[in-house]
Amino acid sequence: MPDSAYQLPASFLLGLPLVAFLLFWLGGKGLNQVAGYAGALITAVGLAISAYFAEPGVLHTVRFDWLMVGSFPIEIAFRFDTLTFIMLMVVHFVAFLVQLYSVSYLHDDENLHRYFAFIQLFVFSMLGIVLAGNLLVMYIFWELVGLSSYLLIGFWYKKARPVWAAQKAFVLNRIGDAAFLTGILMLFYYIGSTDFEVLSVTVGSISPGVLTAIGLCLFGGCVGKSAQFPLSGWLPDAMEGPTPVSALIHAATMVAAGIFLLARISFLLTWDARLVITLIGMITMLIGAVKAMRVWDIKRVLAFSTMSQLGLMVMAVGLGSWQMAFFHLTTHAFFKAGLFLSAGSVIHAVTPSQPNINFDPQDMRNMGGLRKSLPITYICFLICASALAGLPFFSGFLSKDAIITEGFLWAEKYGIFGYLFPLVILFSAGLTAYYMFRQLWLVFFGEARYSASAHVHPHESPAIMWIPMVLLSGLSVFVWFSYNPFDAASGWFLSFIGVVESVHLSWVPILATLVTLVSIFLAYRASQSENPFEVFTPMQAPVESKYAFLRNFSNENYFLAPFAWIAKWSERIEKNWIDSFVDFVGKWSVVVAHLVSWADRNIVDGGVKFTTFSVRVAGNSVRSLQNGKIQSYFLVAITGLLLLILWLVAF
Amino acid sequence: MIDHILTLLIAIPLLGALAVAAWPDSRPQNFRLIALVTLIVEFLAAVTMYGLYDFSQAGFQLSEAVDWITLPIGSLGVVSIDYALAVDGISFPLILLAVLVLFVGVVSSWNIEKKTRGYFALYLLLSGSVIGCFLAQDFFLFYLFFEFMLLPMYFLIGLWGGPRREYAALKFFIYTFFGSLLILIVMIALYLSAIDPLETARVVGMIGLEDPATGDIILQLQQWVAEGRIAPEQLVHTFRFAYLADPANYLPESILSFSSDLFIFGVPVRLLAFWFLFIGFAVKLPVVPVHTWLPDAHVEAPTPLSVVLPGILLKIGGYGFIRIVDGFFPAEALYSTVPLGVLGMISIVYGGFNALGQNDLKKMIAYSSVSHMGFVLLGVAAFTAEGINGAIYQMVSHGVLSSMLFLLAGVIYDRTHDRMIENYRGLITVMPQYTILTGIAFFASLGLPGFSGFVGELFTLMGAFQSENMPVWIPALSTLGIVLAAAYFLWTYQRMFFGSFWYRNQNTEHHTTSTLTDLTLREKGLLIPLAILALLLGILPGLLFDITGPTVESWIEGLR
Repeated sequence: MPDSAYQLPASFLLGLPLVAFLLFWLGGKGLNQVAGYAGALITAVGLAISAYFAEPGVLHTVRFDWLMVGSFPIEIAFRFDTLTFIMLMVVHFVAFLVQLYSVSYLHDDENLHRYFAFIQLFVFSMLGIVLAGNLLVMYIFWELVGLSSYLLIGFWYKKARPVWAAQKAFVLNRIGDAAFLTGILMLFYYIGSTDFEVLSVTVGSISPGVLTAIGLCLFGGCVGKSAQFPLSGWLPDAMEGPTPVSALIHAATMVAAGIFLLARISFLLTWDARLVITLIGMITMLIGAVKAMRVWDIKRVLAFSTMSQLGLMVMAVGLGSWQMAFFHLTTHAFFKAGLFLSAGSVIHAVTPSQPNINFDPQDMRNMGGLRKSLPITYICFLICASALAGLPFFSGFLSKDAIITEGFLWAEKYGIFGYLFPLVILFSAGLTAYYMFRQLWLVFFGEARYSASAHVHPHESPAIMWIPMVLLSGLSVFVWFSYNPFDAASGWFLSFIGVVESVHLSWVPILATLVTLVSIFLAYRASQSENPFEVFTPMQAPVESKYAFLRNFSNENYFLAPFAWIAKWSERIEKNWIDSFVDFVGKWSVVVAHLVSWADRNIVDGGVKFTTFSVRVAGNSVRSLQNGKIQSYFLVAITGLLLLILWLVAF
Repeated sequence: MIDHILTLLIAIPLLGALAVAAWPDSRPQNFRLIALVTLIVEFLAAVTMYGLYDFSQAGFQLSEAVDWITLPIGSLGVVSIDYALAVDGISFPLILLAVLVLFVGVVSSWNIEKKTRGYFALYLLLSGSVIGCFLAQDFFLFYLFFEFMLLPMYFLIGLWGGPRREYAALKFFIYTFFGSLLILIVMIALYLSAIDPLETARVVGMIGLEDPATGDIILQLQQWVAEGRIAPEQLVHTFRFAYLADPANYLPESILSFSSDLFIFGVPVRLLAFWFLFIGFAVKLPVVPVHTWLPDAHVEAPTPLSVVLPGILLKIGGYGFIRIVDGFFPAEALYSTVPLGVLGMISIVYGGFNALGQNDLKKMIAYSSVSHMGFVLLGVAAFTAEGINGAIYQMVSHGVLSSMLFLLAGVIYDRTHDRMIENYRGLITVMPQYTILTGIAFFASLGLPGFSGFVGELFTLMGAFQSENMPVWIPALSTLGIVLAAAYFLWTYQRMFFGSFWYRNQNTEHHTTSTLTDLTLREKGLLIPLAILALLLGILPGLLFDITGPTVESWIEGLR
């Protein structure tokens, strides 16, 4: 199809959710019942459009001038290629399922129309990122995604924590975005365009040092959106939002936008930039995995796990293989969304029918033994967890092994220290298997602990909730990506996204499986102990040590306290220096004014008075001269003349 | 009438002011009605101007010029002051903005009850002076209007303001007056240094009094002046912007001659003059560290004034930077790119941090103005087409958005007479429409793409990056401003609007919380169009760039 034919899908894909957003938002509460189904339908139409116009391997661009500033035009460009196509499918598909799920999950919320409106706004902005043909357009939609994320996390605006979390997410993202914007503007300066096609041709004209700086600035955007260290603090807190939102935005799509960005710009990342990216990814991956082993909130485990997996993908890009990162992004989108929806189903099941402040339905210590009452949820969770843990025959196994293989190949090229990276990935894969087993066991096995509240009656969710879960877990099996369960390279997916030749190391799957099995065994042993995973240890308030801020990196202490500190000081400077200087000048001018007016009264005025006084005296004395005698007049005339001459001579 | 549309734009508000002052009936409704009608007529005049303006053409249009004062003063030559008005791509958007903001201001003055006659007369006087500032093409005329703004502003804050109004008004006056004084000094020096080649040619007798000038004659005369062949008595000195901007019109031996090698305290005199002018307008913009009048004036000013003040008065500072500071001292402006850029960066970041530290809603917005005006300075300092275009855009965008923000602050202040952020929580429950409009204004102001704020910041930053003289770290650090904007706006939003409803009443006069009612029709009628305008400008920036683009392009070419 010619390029011009793609104006139609571009405008429909973006236009439909935007119109839906406006309709649902302005439509009012009357739309509460319909909005969910209507939204799902619109997303399904979008899915059909993107499938119909899919033409993998061929690039189509739609461009038009937005405006002219100075001498160069700023373009709006949209782009259809293989990456776009895959992302369109993933975003539409997950969004479709999540909306159906939400219809039931949030059925009694009074602002449901707004919820679905915001979901549509999110879909609109996410599709904008996916379709963007240049970095400026991507940045515009990038910010809009931030907005929709803010609105959705803070959907329950009457509670303090979600609003706080929403704000934290937006502000931390903004830090990354500022770097992203700097990178874009530097590209405008050095190249004059941010179009991906133009960039890929002209990128060689920039000196490597500058290119590294640009690459790292652009990576800043990814650090924010994909929750990389040190801006990762918002992701766990974002779990305050509704669970389907977590599945859609904070697992499958939005957080993957950073990886998508890296995939788009991978050609301009220099070796130095890649090294930094790899290190950041590694730190994030480890922090996420370690934290996921410790927390009790069922959603936070998944959030930290998401963070860890995103770190893995970032590492893959850093190691020079964005295709593997993208592969993992796709598999991860399905099984992580499946996990979140299953977790939502669990929370739904253990939420007390009477509100109970002391009972937290998201705390895994209040669960246990749920596999009997929630059989479908249990199976879905099991499948998705296996995919995440990287067990053979599941999709996660394929993509994770592909990354580990790349790691070993990279290490072969760069020497002995290079082996650090694949080994750390293996280690973290072990941690992943461990925490997923822990979560699975805590939720579905062991004895039931939800009896802490008398009003908990676990029951399976309705079909509209479990069908999306089943579909997502179905997509977590290997067959959808490669017919050989042990080798992704022979599958269609990688050749689809343009991996022409990839080396397959046959010992990597065996090694990875071994690591996974060992950690599952360790986790199993822990679950058989007296106090498995310390689940019976009474909850205690976290000890606030002096250095707690180091542990809780980038939360309030890390972030807002310094701001408050600077704000306080700048206010002081303002008050004590600038304003007090002005006041000083002002006060002293008044003092000087008083002095001057005193002087005016007593000296200048005195002079005047003295003058009048002397004139009067002179007048009196002159009067005595006017005595009518002609001599006297003569005398005065002579004296006057003399004075006049004197004056003329002297001056 | 149509030939004198620019005169009309100035005259309408001034006549309105006279009408208010002289109206026999002294019922307050009459005055506000007169003011409203005046600004509606003004609005129609602006629409007419829009229709007459040729967008494809760069440079000045709709010019009007009349000799005003011509006075031979012996060996000092001839004083020539012209009544000259014109509009070009730089002033045009600002005039439209001014009319809009002044209109919004008068509608939001509806509740003024104290001394309405004086209030509306002064308000209209202010309106005429502001428009005059943007239209004047003669430095003397400009200065006249510039000074004329001070007086009504001083009284409007000082008489109708909040509790500390006298302090704020005086501070405002002294600051601005200090700035004007510096401008005055440079203005006189410029006047002594430059001549009007056309009038001089007529005095010298090169052409007849009624003959039109040709380029050759002007060049010949400038040649004579350069060679010193014209007697000082015959030189016609000028205040006209057009002549002041041309180096050939400067007398070779004068203090501000382009080839002047005069130094004062070791600083070239032209550079010194540049900084004098810069500081003069920096007070108005305002630039840190001469900004401290702004928070006080904003906070104490009555709501309509706190709409007009940042909405349009601050823009005269930015306009002065472009038209006068850069226009007459381009080489010095290029030379000073780094210090100017740094000042812009400091304004952005410092203003942002201060906004974050405020408890008073109006003060928070005032400091956000400082931060946003820093972007204007950054764009002007860059001295690139993108930067200047972006600076004008940012001024218009900030004009619209700050009007919205101060109107919103006025809404809550009208109801409770309390502006403290920490005294409110969960306002969304009682005032949902107010919450939504505040949200739109906040997100638009923090630079969300789709709204005008984003475009202004994007292009000023882009201009700063494109500038050859500006090191990359200045705009790179300035991006911190957009992070801070997100922080202070969202933090305020969270504190005031979300959570469960709660309100601490500290005001003895207003006891009940039932005063917290949602927006009235009039408030919505002001806020919603402004929000739509911000959205429209954000999606179609061409609306503005098409006006400013050609002029700025040729203007920059001419100066470089």
